[in-house]
Amino acid sequence: MYGFEALTFNIHSGYLEAIVRGHRSGLLTAADYNNLCQCETLDDIKMHLSATEYGPYLQNEPSPLHTTTIVEKCTLKLVDEYKHMLSQATEPLSTFLQYITYGHMIDNVVLIVTGTLHERDVHELLEKCHPLGMFDSIATLAVAQNMRELYRLVLVDTPLAPYFSECITSEDLDDMNIEIMRNTLYKAYLEDFYDFCQKLGGATAEIMSDLLAFEADRRAVNITINSIGTELTRDDRRKLYSNFGLLYPYGHEELAVCEDIDQVRGVMEKYPPYQTIFAKLSYGESQMLDKAFYEEEVKRLCLAFEQQFHYGVFFAYMRLREQEIRNLMWVSECVAQNQKSRVHDSVVFIF
Amino acid sequence: MGEDEAIAKFSEDQNDDGVSESKAVPVEDKESINDKNVEKFLDSMDDYLILVDSLSSILRQGWLELASARHSMGASRISASSYDMKYHSAATTLQLQHETASSDVGQPHFVLRKWESSDSPKKDPSDSPKRDPCEAKLEEDKWVQSVSSGLRIRTKGTSESSESREKKAENTGSPLSVDGHAQKERLKALSMFGALAPPKLRAAQLSFETALETLADIANVRASLLRAYEQVQKEMESPIQ
Repeated sequence: MYGFEALTFNIHSGYLEAIVRGHRSGLLTAADYNNLCQCETLDDIKMHLSATEYGPYLQNEPSPLHTTTIVEKCTLKLVDEYKHMLSQATEPLSTFLQYITYGHMIDNVVLIVTGTLHERDVHELLEKCHPLGMFDSIATLAVAQNMRELYRLVLVDTPLAPYFSECITSEDLDDMNIEIMRNTLYKAYLEDFYDFCQKLGGATAEIMSDLLAFEADRRAVNITINSIGTELTRDDRRKLYSNFGLLYPYGHEELAVCEDIDQVRGVMEKYPPYQTIFAKLSYGESQMLDKAFYEEEVKRLCLAFEQQFHYGVFFAYMRLREQEIRNLMWVSECVAQNQKSRVHDSVVFIF
Repeated sequence: MGEDEAIAKFSEDQNDDGVSESKAVPVEDKESINDKNVEKFLDSMDDYLILVDSLSSILRQGWLELASARHSMGASRISASSYDMKYHSAATTLQLQHETASSDVGQPHFVLRKWESSDSPKKDPSDSPKRDPCEAKLEEDKWVQSVSSGLRIRTKGTSESSESREKKAENTGSPLSVDGHAQKERLKALSMFGALAPPKLRAAQLSFETALETLADIANVRASLLRAYEQVQKEMESPIQ
């Protein structure tokens, strides 16, 4: 099934695989989260994190701390590690690493366009953008009035240009069109990333196919649930689902006509990998679905490290760090709001 | 002495007590009125405390649900920078009316009008159809009673999930019942964070909407409480006959 990656992988990518496995060992453990959950204030959290790899990023932050500050500084650490790996990578790993950030780029584009529609200041919006998704001409997004101008003036020179072919219209930008644009772009990005991984072949193709298929399926479920009760038609909803994944194509046909969470459950329970996820939820409940999906994702990402000589470890590490940052955000919010009893509602242990 | 003369004399004797027959209030009746006013004051105080406790619980729930929505959607998508700064009319307004019923003349009454269409042009308040304040008070009283009777079971510290709250609202027919227009306006309000709002964000919105209703009820109960307190004070200061 695999090629002879063991013979040639380390020539160009051995150093970076070693680096990323070293970074993986720095992820917070259950013991760290238990200590964090005992904290009374955000300064206590800062004190506990000073003993971890986040220490240098938080030590100079003045009190009183805010949860967004903790998230920003932890994200900076991830960005520094990513930039180091990208600067050391050769093709095709460098392209693979860039693909990992296109999702953030799409989110940043939508943030700027939505904020401009709501008459927000561009500088304020740029501060909210994810650092992994920044590109040079992002500030000029504010001048576009419709998607055609958006493409022609700004995005034609960015990596997102190929993804715009399906959503170029002259319609003015409004909240629903922007949301459709976001999901259409993300669909095109996932499909392109999937095709790229297939071309790489070997262990990378196998592991990344599983991870990206799970991502596509999760997005299909979230789009279905979030569009219940909205103006999004069934056809428009169907167009936002990716053309790969376990649910493609029959699951998508059934999801497109779902009107409530119980119908979604009925569709998903036909697929064994998702039965365990929905088995954790009671009927009519959708609040814990995100946590159930995150737990499944973390399980699959950790399994990626069980094999060597493939690029999936880089993708898995980035996603695990993002999950860790989400965990820290949730713990901080619970401590700040004095609701520590609810900490375990959304924390997903990685190890 | 004839029978009629005896009745007339009896009536005169009664009048000789010094209080005219039309103005005399027996001591027993006056004490029962005082008791009723004190009871009304204590009931209003109890309702007020229950509502304040309920508000605190609902707001805690709302803030946590909002944090949960930020956790799943991302901090950049739910933040103050997402607010729509374009001019638009408010979907929910608060009107102040004054009671005209004889027992509560002049008492302020707050009416919350939720989810009025944000597409309608800004109207002069004097053009809007006048709503009978007694009808509004009746609806609000029903809601306060339903809340009070539920809360008197002392379920302090427990908070219902938004889904069970909606179902309970539908069964009792309270202002929380979901109709098509209100649901449409709710989703429209949430669209500043993205047109496809997740269930957690909708739950947070419902919590804050309930908190807004509770605040209006607190204001009404407080007005009633202060009114009852004034009456009790007046009776305490007036000489006992």
